[in-house]
Formats: sequence, structure tokens, C-alpha cells
Amino acid sequence: MIARIIIDLFLLLGCFFAFAGVVGLIRMPDSFTRMQSSTNIATLGVLWTVLGVAIYAFMNNNIAFGIKVILIGVFVVITSAISGHAILRGAYKHGIRPDNLVVDEYRRDNPDE
Amino acid sequence: MKKTSSIIATFILCYLFWILFTLTFTAQELIAGAIVSLLVALFAEKYLIHEDAFHLLKPNVLLNFITYVLFVFPVELWKANVDVAKRALSPNLPINPGIVKVPVDLQSEYGLAMLANSITLTPGTITMEIVEEDGQHFYYIHWIDVASKDPKEAGNIIKGKLENWIRRIWK
Repeated sequence: MIARIIIDLFLLLGCFFAFAGVVGLIRMPDSFTRMQSSTNIATLGVLWTVLGVAIYAFMNNNIAFGIKVILIGVFVVITSAISGHAILRGAYKHGIRPDNLVVDEYRRDNPDE
Repeated sequence: MKKTSSIIATFILCYLFWILFTLTFTAQELIAGAIVSLLVALFAEKYLIHEDAFHLLKPNVLLNFITYVLFVFPVELWKANVDVAKRALSPNLPINPGIVKVPVDLQSEYGLAMLANSITLTPGTITMEIVEEDGQHFYYIHWIDVASKDPKEAGNIIKGKLENWIRRIWK
């Protein structure tokens, strides 16, 4: 019973961060800040959910299921870091220049890109 | 010798993941996994291992690594997530974005990559580029709330404790 409540709490926390990420995705003014907000979903949104599911799996003595779920969490976290970096840099090199940047030191050091 | 040890390290990593994914200990699965892992290790070793292959298995390094992954980083992740979630949900959308250049005192390739990925994973900061100028490495970081334009101070706010912990792991 208590474990069930803990699992539900974890899933709710995951839902909350995914919700916050989506709201940010809609409200943020430019592509870069939208990406920042979507990191919410890929980190804690995924991790809390995965943790909840893993506890559920281990409680039902389904070790293989639990380990696979945890591995999914690990891979999502590792790959989303690299893809986030690549997308942001790609967007910048493509020529997206938000006008609300208070400071842009990359532009200062590489003016011709 | 160096090549052999890096092949062995890659093989162990691949085989470990194979076993974790299948989790059936029949001879057929184990032999197939060993062959596939060995092939992958032979081809991928030069992309994966550039420095000491078994550095991460030294006891104190491993202990620091586990502490970092399980305790230090999740705390930072939680703080940054709550901060960005608050920004996204608050009515007047308090953002102040900018790209700052921050000095980093790490030499190892793995350390630089690990710190860059840790910074990208914490919401609110994304690493754009790593450059080297006269032996000193710099990150260009897109930051959702530029609290300081001074490189040192900005670095302290963004990296926090993470850099010291990573220096204990990778030098």
C-alpha cells in the first residue's frame, strides 16, 4: 500500500515536470529558450517516471523489466545531453539569432559565422 | 598493448550492456553476445577510448564517480529543474537569456565532455562549443538567466560544485 503511494507520487512528479516543460515550450519566445525548457522533460520528467516504474517492477519480482526500465532512463539522459548540444549549435550556425540575448560572446569571438 | 587493453575495456562495456538487456543466462545468448561485443569492440575501440582504458576502475576514482552520479549531480539537477519549471509557469516569464564564455580548468577529454554534458543536462544552461586558447579551455554556454557577465563569476554560478567533483575523477 505504502509502496503504491510512493510509486504514484513519483509518477505525479514526472508528470509535473513534463507539464512544466511543455508549458515552457509553448510560452518561451525563441528557439533557444524553448530548448532550455524542453530539457525539463528529458531529465526529471523521464527520471521520476522511470524510477516509479522500476519500483513497481521490482515489487512484482520482475527483475528483467526493472533493469531494462532503468537502462532506458540512463540512455535517455546520456543521449539527450548530446542531442541538445548538437541541436542548439546547429540552430546557431544555421543563422537563428534571437534579439533578446543580453550578451552574445560567441558572436563577439566569431563575428563571421 | 594499449590497443589490446582498450579493446578489452570496450568489450567489457558492450558485454555488460548485452547481459543487462537480455538477462537470460543461456549458453546460446551468452556466446552470441560475446561474438557481437568482440566485433563491436574491434571496430569501435579507437572512437571510444583515447586515454587510460581502465582509469575508471581504480577504487577511489570509481567511488568518486558513483558519488557524483548518484548524489552530487541529482541534487544540482533537481535545483535547476525546479528553477526552470518556476520560470516557465510564472505569469510574467522572467527570462534573461545570453551566451557567455566560461573558463574551465580541466585537461582530460573525458572530463571536458562529462562537464559539458552535465551542464547541458541541467535545465537552464546548454553548452554550445568547447574551444582551447593557449592551453586553457573555454565553454560557450547559452544561459537562460544571465546573472553575471564576468567570466569567473558566471563560471562559479553555472558549474558550482560539479567541476571540483569531475576533477577528482578525471584530473
